[in-house]
Amino acid sequence: MTTLASVLPADHFLIMTVYALLISLFFALLWRSGRRERVALFIKLFLALVVGALAVAWLMYPFPS
Amino acid sequence: MSDTASPLSPRPPSTAPVPAPRRPGNPFLAAALAWLFPGLGHAYLKRPKTALIYAVIVSATFLLGLSFEGRLYSPEPGQPLTILATFAVYGAGLLNIAVRLLSANPNGTILSVTYEYGCAFLLTAGLMNLLLMLDAYDIAVGRKR
Repeated sequence: MTTLASVLPADHFLIMTVYALLISLFFALLWRSGRRERVALFIKLFLALVVGALAVAWLMYPFPS
Repeated sequence: MSDTASPLSPRPPSTAPVPAPRRPGNPFLAAALAWLFPGLGHAYLKRPKTALIYAVIVSATFLLGLSFEGRLYSPEPGQPLTILATFAVYGAGLLNIAVRLLSANPNGTILSVTYEYGCAFLLTAGLMNLLLMLDAYDIAVGRKR
């Protein structure tokens, strides 16, 4: 079976962004009802996940792997 | 003083029975359908657009997890956390069961670079669907509009 894992490069940032996109979309739909509220929550969640992950990665950078 | 009631006077208590709010559907059936396939509970509650979007999001998350060679967990002796992981993955309903029956590799490929991502996507898809079950139940009992 051909999988995405074998076709795409294992781009950690891309996978994380797709994950953040799906999560943000899901919770924006689940937790809000109006269109504007949904868009606002989607942007907040997406940015929190992506920027938060980058911030944690930056903080962890000095530590030995 | 006139006999006409002023706007400030208290209203006489109404004797007409208050009609109970109409339920859009059976809450347990809605939750069961929501478990079977993502969005099916919302479709049953006459929310086809929402149902379609949920179906796309949860199915995409699940299929990406499979494609990243993640693992469909089963309980293992001595590994209590696998019980929680199994519960989460079984939340995906028929998607999980069908893949377990049809896939040649339900345990994923632990040596794959994307294995951990795959596991995270599969667990997330199951947990999302469990939340959709609760959401469908809440809509059916009138707790959520």
